[in-house]
Amino acid sequence: MASSSPPGNPPSGLTDRSGSFFKLIDTFASEIGELKREMVQTPLTFDKEPMDLQGLEAEVCGVYLQSPSCAGLGGERDSGYDSLRRRMSVLERLTQTHPVWLLLAVTEEEATRILLTQPPGVFLVRKSAALQRKILSVRLKEDQSGTPISHLPVRESQYTFSLEDSGISFADLFRLVAFYCISRDVLPFTLKLPEAIASAKTQKELEEAAQLGAGFWDSALCSQHRTFPRACRPLSRTLSPQRSNREGEESQQRHTGAHCDSAPPTLRSCASPPSFHLERRHSSGPLCFVTPLFLQTHRRPPRCEDDPPTHAVRSDEDLENEAKSLKLSSSPGIEQHADKVKLNGKSRTPPPRPPPPRSMPRRRPAPPPPGPPAATTRPKSMPVAVTVSPRQQQTSTKRQAPARPSMGGKQGSPSKTASPPIPVPSNPPPPRPKKPDLESHRCHIALDDETIAKALSRAKRPPCQPTAADALLEGPSTPKERGRQRLSDMSMSTSSSDSLEYSHSPGFSLGLAPSPSRHLNHQDTVEDSSDDDDDVDEDDEDYGVSLETDLEMRHRPSFKARRRRVGVSLGGGSFILPRALKGRFRKVSGMLSSLMTPERRAVKRIAEMSRDKSSYFGSLVQDYISFVQENRGCHTSGTDFLQTLRQFMTQMKAYLRQSSELDPPLESLIPEDQIDQVLEKAMHKCVLKPLKSVIEVALHDFQVKSGALQQLKENLALAKAKRPQELGVDGAVPPDPLAIEKIRHKFLNMRKMYSPEKKVSLLLRVCKLIYTIMQDNSGRMYGADDFLPMLTYVVAQCDMPQLDTEIQYMMELLDPSLLQGEGGYYLTSAYGAMALIKNFQEEQAARVLSSEARNTLHHWHRRRTTPRSAPTVDDFQNYLRVALQEVDTGCTAKTLRVQPYTTTEEVCSLCAYKFKIPDPNAYALFLVIEGTRQQLAPDTHPQRIKAELHGRPCAHTFHFVYRRIPNLNLFIPAVMDNGNCIQVE
Amino acid sequence: MAIRELKVCLLGDTGVGKSSIVCRFVQDHFDHNISPTIGASFLTKTVPSGNELHKFLIWDTAGQERFHSLAPMYYRGSAAAVIVYDITKLDSFQTLKRWVKELKEHGPEDIVVAIAGNKNDLGDIREVPMKEAKEFAESIAAIFIETSARNAVNVEELFQKISKQIPPLENHEDETSESFKLSRQPAASTRRCC
Repeated sequence: MASSSPPGNPPSGLTDRSGSFFKLIDTFASEIGELKREMVQTPLTFDKEPMDLQGLEAEVCGVYLQSPSCAGLGGERDSGYDSLRRRMSVLERLTQTHPVWLLLAVTEEEATRILLTQPPGVFLVRKSAALQRKILSVRLKEDQSGTPISHLPVRESQYTFSLEDSGISFADLFRLVAFYCISRDVLPFTLKLPEAIASAKTQKELEEAAQLGAGFWDSALCSQHRTFPRACRPLSRTLSPQRSNREGEESQQRHTGAHCDSAPPTLRSCASPPSFHLERRHSSGPLCFVTPLFLQTHRRPPRCEDDPPTHAVRSDEDLENEAKSLKLSSSPGIEQHADKVKLNGKSRTPPPRPPPPRSMPRRRPAPPPPGPPAATTRPKSMPVAVTVSPRQQQTSTKRQAPARPSMGGKQGSPSKTASPPIPVPSNPPPPRPKKPDLESHRCHIALDDETIAKALSRAKRPPCQPTAADALLEGPSTPKERGRQRLSDMSMSTSSSDSLEYSHSPGFSLGLAPSPSRHLNHQDTVEDSSDDDDDVDEDDEDYGVSLETDLEMRHRPSFKARRRRVGVSLGGGSFILPRALKGRFRKVSGMLSSLMTPERRAVKRIAEMSRDKSSYFGSLVQDYISFVQENRGCHTSGTDFLQTLRQFMTQMKAYLRQSSELDPPLESLIPEDQIDQVLEKAMHKCVLKPLKSVIEVALHDFQVKSGALQQLKENLALAKAKRPQELGVDGAVPPDPLAIEKIRHKFLNMRKMYSPEKKVSLLLRVCKLIYTIMQDNSGRMYGADDFLPMLTYVVAQCDMPQLDTEIQYMMELLDPSLLQGEGGYYLTSAYGAMALIKNFQEEQAARVLSSEARNTLHHWHRRRTTPRSAPTVDDFQNYLRVALQEVDTGCTAKTLRVQPYTTTEEVCSLCAYKFKIPDPNAYALFLVIEGTRQQLAPDTHPQRIKAELHGRPCAHTFHFVYRRIPNLNLFIPAVMDNGNCIQVE
Repeated sequence: MAIRELKVCLLGDTGVGKSSIVCRFVQDHFDHNISPTIGASFLTKTVPSGNELHKFLIWDTAGQERFHSLAPMYYRGSAAAVIVYDITKLDSFQTLKRWVKELKEHGPEDIVVAIAGNKNDLGDIREVPMKEAKEFAESIAAIFIETSARNAVNVEELFQKISKQIPPLENHEDETSESFKLSRQPAASTRRCC
């Protein structure tokens, strides 16, 4: 570690303290580097032959395609490194051209039609409506089986994707496909990109292919490249009728194993020498790879040790054995399973995917990378993980970063440089941290000593000090064990940062817990006792602004804790970081963000989109946010207010599921059963986070206005004076003042969070603490008879009137599916305790709750549990930003609630009312597009027009302007760059 | 196998052993796959039932009179309610009758009601005759069983009985049955035509 400490550490110019502060970060960075190195080096232990070293090198730059034409040449290995090719890894190619091969809407018949004209190995991914799963459809070699196309279901679980029957899991679909492009694993041979994509030398060529979308397959682009593979094709094409009959029977061809079983003679051929030679010819070039992936329990554990199954070149014997073992070990199960699947398939027809809200025949050419800007923000001090050959260094000067061994290159981010940014004219998304020039900053900063001291004292806290509660929650495995476990698990090497994340972040272990139910997951969240994955996101976006953090968190003895430590020392709140320091942290956090789980990446992506008003989703969210900010007075009560928020979030979730705006589609990154959670999280971030303070103020205002606050305060004071026994506590020993103070502190932390789920998880920790105190003193298990009175006592002792709105916030905004679980239970209990205290006086008198309180409970329950039919795009509460333009006073804009079917006439009357226009007849609604103005007819629908404009391929700036109908052509400023108006890219 | 979550609410006087029964039920066959809950007021346990898995989400309530008014929040949305009384305390049986009445009036419509006479091991100081309780249960079509949480008698059985009474998923199961119906309907209509 010492060796990897950065050469550029500022020797002078900074105080020692800041120096060591930096050192800390560098240490941190180098530790990650070390981890990576360990991981990357692993294959070395497998392969001691010199030629494999080269493979290792190739791994360093990600997985690169080698064209088959090169493979035929003598010095194929060297020629494979031709610099043009090397620019784009398979993963990159795949990510950029996913509109071509990721065709979720395509049917089996259509897939078969497309692939039949393609050479073996070409594939696409679709979604089977019957199975409700994604299917990898692969063109097989003609001679080797009864069916020309193989359909392999993709298994999705706990944030991983894998092929049915394979032990190798991937963080997302892109990585899965990329892997199988290089290694066959359970496939009969490796996947092949269409030649036009595989041989593309420039981004532009890829973009062109992507532009075509599904049309690519029938295009000239696709067919013109299809000359070479014929050479490898068998001469005799024997298409038996039996073969074509099979086409439809998905379950039989689900994968080669099953398939082989059902057609024994053809199975042999798949492992037979001829086909092997074919394969060998193809794979002789890229001996490299081993893509990012992480191995779960592999079917043949011993093999992993000495002969990784992902290896491209194997001996004939190996192959044959493997084929046999495959057949032996897996076939019966598969058959069984296939039957099951078939049954399911019969009885279940999913609803058709609703059409996207706007026409999107083609996806945008270059999807913005879902991943973080990893490589570009990596600090210079990152140790180079693997020896890089001189040659490589030469060729990869500028591009080096993305092609770096580990987190960069083949990661989720198809590297920043790879995809041109989406043009967002005058409304850029919130500034991404710019790549700060560290060296130059170092010279300028004059660090405030106190700041540094504070930061140090925070950051330097020993990482291993779990509190008692945390230790309890943490479970038995110590971080060290975890670390070791990780390394041994990952016998496959791999530079996957995701895998690193998986095994390292305790947050992730949530996902791995075998719990398909949300409630369970929720409990896990609590168990985990770390509040969130979200924090880290926040760290690199807005330090210290609303960092949700519980102080205890810092003691988490894990990798994550280290991360958090950075976050906390940044966001601790009371000080402002000098810019340069921030820059430095950005680097670190940028690097860290490349370690994000797919979940977090997806959340981040959605959050980014929500701020991008050029997207339809972004404009919906932003319009709603500004509407709420301007019109918070329009609600009758806090509850009413929160309900509309909840409704909006639910609607937006439905929208995101239905629309095709997310690119790449969420389904390719997140397994189906996790999508809802991810969306929920994203909505909290997009909607609740920016509105948190507005909501807080509004709720408080309602509380004051109704007099409830005053009453609550009085009753709290009364209740606080009571002894535990008077509140019903019987037997169990109540927490002492110290513990109460601790709980108070937790409640205060709860207030800092915007996510209702995180608030609930803190509430659960309070409850857990109460239980611990109760049990410590007696050793028995306490049920509600003892717990609820104790909770009431604790709430009274804490004396926090704010807690009431907190509970209200959680009750109304928590994901409805969590209400039945543990979170829901303790939330209900907290609400009950609060209700008892609120009505303390009455209760004293009558010993019953006021009927009013009871009714509230009833209503709440009915409201939150009546199943609502899922909202459709049509019933969105849409918002429309309309500018009033007056000759003398200029422009003022308001956000109005306008339903999709509201006519211009209605909008006009709304405008007249909102803008207080005395002579509405003289006014009309205009659409201004880039300087041209057009009066809208009374029977048109502004929302539809807006949606259509958003759907247009080319970028236009447009505004809705409410103004006097001109008699003369008055000059109208073409663009009103006040940031309020809607912009279209 | 599909996991189906069932909210079960525990009602009954304080001290009758509501949480003891559940603790016994949950702990006897401790399932390591299921993450433990933070405390005994809310416990979960998954049991197989037919071709589905029932995951009981067991909501305990405080039995004291002063918390009575909060009960609706707990029993709302419950698939089943277990009302527990103490066979050695006649009072607790009277309370039980009040709970039954309240559930009939305000509880979920098709809630499965189970009556459990706990402390069956203390038969010699029994105050509530088994016959009387059984007849009462029959009169309201409720499950009846006497249990002993201490000796682990009939606890498992209690929940098995509940599991059996839970109607199998029909209209709830996503689109499965819906599409099934859709495909069946035309067939029926053709038959009618003939």
